[in-house]
Amino acid sequence: MQIFNDYKDHADFLTVYVREAHPTDEWQMKSNVKDDVCYAQPRNLSDRLAIANDFIKRFKYPLPFGVDDMKNAANDAYAAWPERLYIIDENGKIVYRGGMGPFNYKPAEVRAWLAERYGEVKRVEANPAAH
Amino acid sequence: MRRFFAAEAAFGDEVLEVRKFFNWIGISLGALLVIAFVALSVMAGGPKDALYMVRYALPHMHRGNLKVGDSAPDARIYALDGAETFHIRERTGAKPLVVIFGSFT
Repeated sequence: MQIFNDYKDHADFLTVYVREAHPTDEWQMKSNVKDDVCYAQPRNLSDRLAIANDFIKRFKYPLPFGVDDMKNAANDAYAAWPERLYIIDENGKIVYRGGMGPFNYKPAEVRAWLAERYGEVKRVEANPAAH
Repeated sequence: MRRFFAAEAAFGDEVLEVRKFFNWIGISLGALLVIAFVALSVMAGGPKDALYMVRYALPHMHRGNLKVGDSAPDARIYALDGAETFHIRERTGAKPLVVIFGSFT
């Protein structure tokens, strides 16, 4: 999120929601029960859209967002599951390919790529209490 | 007759050796499986998690063939309302595009 705030003037961002990683009917994590993030694996697009919309509302997620289709076309094309990061340049070439999540999901590498190209950017959020 | 019994005794020893060899192979494989399962359990968070990881996660985890320098593949993406769609490549061109794949859980 902070990377988006820092670099949104320099880069576009797109979050793509893919099949669930830890749904209740597969490998559910205790942490998800604790955080009340309990969903079955969607079997149709409307279920998938409903979960994606819950996610957006819960976190007030500000990044541009889309949902993979039920054939998992984007997931398959990018070997995206369970989570993964890419950067595509202006010519449509992959310039950064992150590792497979969760162990090799490294937003710091995205920040490093952006920092190398555009310099270090660190926006300080305006403090509403100051106004 | 003595030669026959001598040959049988020698053959019997060979059978014993082969049995021992296969016993050791079996024990070694069993030990490796136990070690692998314990390691997976530690990594996944518990024995049940290890089983679920093998059952539900590993079949979906792929390194993929994409490399830096490859043309980015396209895919149709649904907007949150489900009515509109767009393509990933439609979002490229003006600036670098950071693509984040993930799910809620």
